[in-house]
Amino acid sequence: MSLPPSGGGPPASAGLGVIHDIGYRHHEGPRLGRGYIARSMFVASLLGAFGIGRSPKSKVMPMLLLAAMCLPALIIEAVVNGVHLKTQPVAYHRYPMVLQAVVAIFVAAQAPQSVSRDLRFRLTSLYFSRPLHRGDYVLAKFAAMTCALLVLLGLPLTILYGGGLLAKLPSVAETRHYLLGLAGAVLFSLVLAGVGLLIAAFTPRRGLGVAAVIAVLLVSYSAVSVVQGISVSVGRSTLAGYAGVFSPFTLVDGVQVWLLRAEPSTPAGPPGTTGGLLFLAVTAALIAGTYLLLLMRYRKVSVS
Amino acid sequence: MSTLTLEAVSRWFGNVVAVNGVTMSIGPGITGLLGPNGAGKSTLIHLMGGFLAPSAGTVTLDGAVVWRNTSIYQQVGLVPEREAMYEFLTGRELVLANAELHGLTDPDAATSRALATVEMTEPAGRAVATYSKGMKQRVKMATALVHDPAILLLDEPFNGMDPRQRMHLMALLQEMGRQGRTVLFSSHILEEVEQIANRIEVVVAGRHAASGDFHEIRRLMTDRPHLYIVRSSDDRALAAVLMAAGACDGARLDAEHGVLHAQAADFPRFAGLLPTLARDKDIHLYEVTPADESLESVFSYLVGS
Amino acid sequence: MNATVIRLTARGLLGRRRSLLLLLLPGVLLLLATIIRLIAGTDETIARTLLKAFGLGTLVPLLGLIAGTGVLGPEIDDGSVVYLLAKPISRPVIVVSKLLVAVVTVTGFAAVPTLLAGLILSGSVGGLAAGYAVGALVAGVTYCTVFVLLAVLSRHAIIVGLLYALLWETVIGGYVPGAQVLSIQQWALAVTRSIVGAEVKSAVSLPVAVTLLVIVCAGATWYAGQRLRTLTLTSEE
Repeated sequence: MSLPPSGGGPPASAGLGVIHDIGYRHHEGPRLGRGYIARSMFVASLLGAFGIGRSPKSKVMPMLLLAAMCLPALIIEAVVNGVHLKTQPVAYHRYPMVLQAVVAIFVAAQAPQSVSRDLRFRLTSLYFSRPLHRGDYVLAKFAAMTCALLVLLGLPLTILYGGGLLAKLPSVAETRHYLLGLAGAVLFSLVLAGVGLLIAAFTPRRGLGVAAVIAVLLVSYSAVSVVQGISVSVGRSTLAGYAGVFSPFTLVDGVQVWLLRAEPSTPAGPPGTTGGLLFLAVTAALIAGTYLLLLMRYRKVSVS
Repeated sequence: MSTLTLEAVSRWFGNVVAVNGVTMSIGPGITGLLGPNGAGKSTLIHLMGGFLAPSAGTVTLDGAVVWRNTSIYQQVGLVPEREAMYEFLTGRELVLANAELHGLTDPDAATSRALATVEMTEPAGRAVATYSKGMKQRVKMATALVHDPAILLLDEPFNGMDPRQRMHLMALLQEMGRQGRTVLFSSHILEEVEQIANRIEVVVAGRHAASGDFHEIRRLMTDRPHLYIVRSSDDRALAAVLMAAGACDGARLDAEHGVLHAQAADFPRFAGLLPTLARDKDIHLYEVTPADESLESVFSYLVGS
Repeated sequence: MNATVIRLTARGLLGRRRSLLLLLLPGVLLLLATIIRLIAGTDETIARTLLKAFGLGTLVPLLGLIAGTGVLGPEIDDGSVVYLLAKPISRPVIVVSKLLVAVVTVTGFAAVPTLLAGLILSGSVGGLAAGYAVGALVAGVTYCTVFVLLAVLSRHAIIVGLLYALLWETVIGGYVPGAQVLSIQQWALAVTRSIVGAEVKSAVSLPVAVTLLVIVCAGATWYAGQRLRTLTLTSEE
C-alpha cells in the first residue's frame, strides 16, 4: 500500500527509488538537558518505591509496610493523649530501631525493584544511550531510595511529634527531639539505601536480590546483637560497644546515641569519644563506599 | 496416525478471552498456525501441549485428553518460544539431559542423532550461554526431537534465525512432514508459512477465522471480488466484450504494463466465459494470472474484516 | 526420585553466585562461635543463646529460604521449567527430587555448621552440639518443604517467605504466645530439648512438635506435587 506523494515528491524515474514526503517532522527545537532527565528519573524512582505510577499489585507491599510503620506511632499517640502521659513512651530516635524489621523488609523489597529490573530487561542500555550519564543515574537512584526511606521513617516520627504537641508536651524539647530524630532517620536512610542498592545492583534477578539484602541485614544484626548480649553478660562492655559497628542498624544507632548522648537501643553504645568517632567515620565511609562501588558497577554495564 | 483435536475450546483469563470457541483438527503433515500478534497462537499451542487447561471444550490427542496427562509427552515434542534454558550446561549436556528425562534406552545415541539433525554437533561442547540466538533455537529443536516424537509443536520457531538457518529449518520441517509426523508451527511471517505449510489455520482475535489450503480459502471468500491480470493481443476489445457479457464486474486497462486488470465476483462464470469470448473475437490470450491469491492478501482480507 | 532432575537442580542451585551467599552464612556462624569461645569460654547458657538466636533463629530459616526457593523458583520465573514439565515424569517425582537437593544443601550448609559451632563452643560433639544440630536439621527440612511449595504457588515466593521467616517467627512469635505453637522454630527446639535437656525452652511438647513437623513436611510436599501438575506457563512478564 503506497501512499500518494504529497505535493513535492519528485516523479519516479524507472529504476530509481523515491522517498515520499508524508509529513515526518524533525524536532529542531530546544531539548531539556541532563538535569531534567536526572530529576525525572529521581521522581519516577521515588514514586515507584511506593508503587505509585505502577500496577496495583506493586502498591500492596510498600503501602502495607508504610502502614505497619505508622500504626504503632498512631497507637502510641492515642495512648499519650488518652492517658495524658508527660513524655513520649518511645523516644524518637529509638523508633527506627524498634521497627527495624519493617524497614529492612522495605529496603529488601524495593531496592531490587528499583535497580534489578533495569538490569534484567536491559533498560540500562536505553538510559545510557541518551544524554543521561551513568553518574547521574546512580545519583538519581541513590537519592530516590534515600528519600523513600526518609518518608518511611519520617512519617511515623511526624505522627509522634504531632501527637506530642496535641498532648501539650513541652514544645521546645519535643521539637528538638523530633529534629534530632529526623537527623538520625536521614543517616539510616543514607546507609540503608547504599547497602540495599549496592547488593541489588549485582544481580538482575529480583528474587535473589531480595534474599541477599535481607540476608545481609538480618545476619549482621543478629550476629551483632548476639555478640553484644553475650559480651555484656561476661562484663566486656567495651567489646560489646565496638561490635555495634558491624551492622548497619546498630552502626547508625551508635552514632545517634553518641551525638545525642541518649539511651542506646542495643545492649551497649559506642564506648567513649573514640568509639563515637569511629562509628561516625565508619558511617561516612559506608555511605561513600557504597556510592563509589555503585558508580564502578554501573561503569561496567555495557550499552548494547 | 497422531491427530490433535480441539473441540469448541475456549480459554479466558479473567475478562480477557484469549481463545474463543475454536474447533480444529491437526493431522499429519505440516500445519501453519497463522495470526497477528495477540491472536491467541501461543495460547493455542500451550493448550495443545497440555500446559494450559481449556476453560471450555476439550483438547484431545488421539482421543486421550491432554491436560494433566504426562504420558502424552512421549509422543509430543515442544519447542517453546521463550529463550531461557539451562545456560550453564553445554549443548550436548542439555540434549542428553532431555534424552534421559524421556527415559530413552540409549540417550547418547539419541543425543548424537538429534544434534546431527540440527547441525549442532560441532558447537555442542560449548556452554549454551555462549550461543547466538539462532544456535539456541537449534538446540531447542534438538531437545524436542531427541525422543523422536510423532507430534512436533513449535512456537514461533523462525524467530531470530538468519536466512541460511531458516532454510535449513524449513527443510528439516518438510522432512518431518514427509515422514508422516504432525508438525504445527506458529508464525506471523507469511512467506515462511506459504513456503512449507500444507494447511494453514488462521486465528484472528481468538477466533478460528479460516482453515485449509490458502488457495482454497481464497476461493471461499466470495464477498471479495477476485482480481485477474490478463495479457492478450487486444486488451481493449477484450475488456469491452467481457463487460458486455457480464463476465466481470470491472475492467481496467493498464497501458504502461500492457495488461488488463479484470475484477470478477463470480469466478466460475469469468473462468468459463473468458476463453469462449476471446476465441469468438479472435483475441489471443497470453497470460491469465490471479492477482491477489497470495497468502498475504488472503491474510489481510481476513484480518482486516 | 529422578537422577537427571537431581543433577540439573544441583548444578543450578550451587552455581557460583548462589554458592557464595550460601557459604557466607555458616561462615559467619563459625566466626561468631570462635569469638564467643574466646570471650566467654565454654559457658553452656551462652552457647545455647548463640545456637538458638543465630543458628536456629537466623541461619536455618534463611538457608531454608534460599535453598527451598532456589531449587524451583528461578526455573519457573524464566520459563525453563518447561523442559522438565514436557516430559513423561510425574510431577510429585520432580518435587521430591528437587527437595532432595534442597535438603542436602541445608544439611551441609546449616546443620553441619551448627554441629561444628556447638563443638567449638562446648568442646564436645555430644549433648549440646548434637541437640542443636538435629534441631537445625529438622527445622531446615521443614522450611525447605514449605518454601518449595511457596515457589510453586507464587512467583513472589521469596518475599512471602521472608515475611514468614522474619515477621512470624521472630516478631509475632516473640510477642504473641499463641502464634508460637505454629512456629517451625519452636517445634525444632522441642526436638533439641529432648536431646539436650530441659534448659532449652520450647512452647510445644515433643509429641506435638514431631506430629506437626511430619504433617507439615508431608503435606507441603504432596500439595506442591499437585500444584505442579496444573502449573500454567506464562509468557515473559
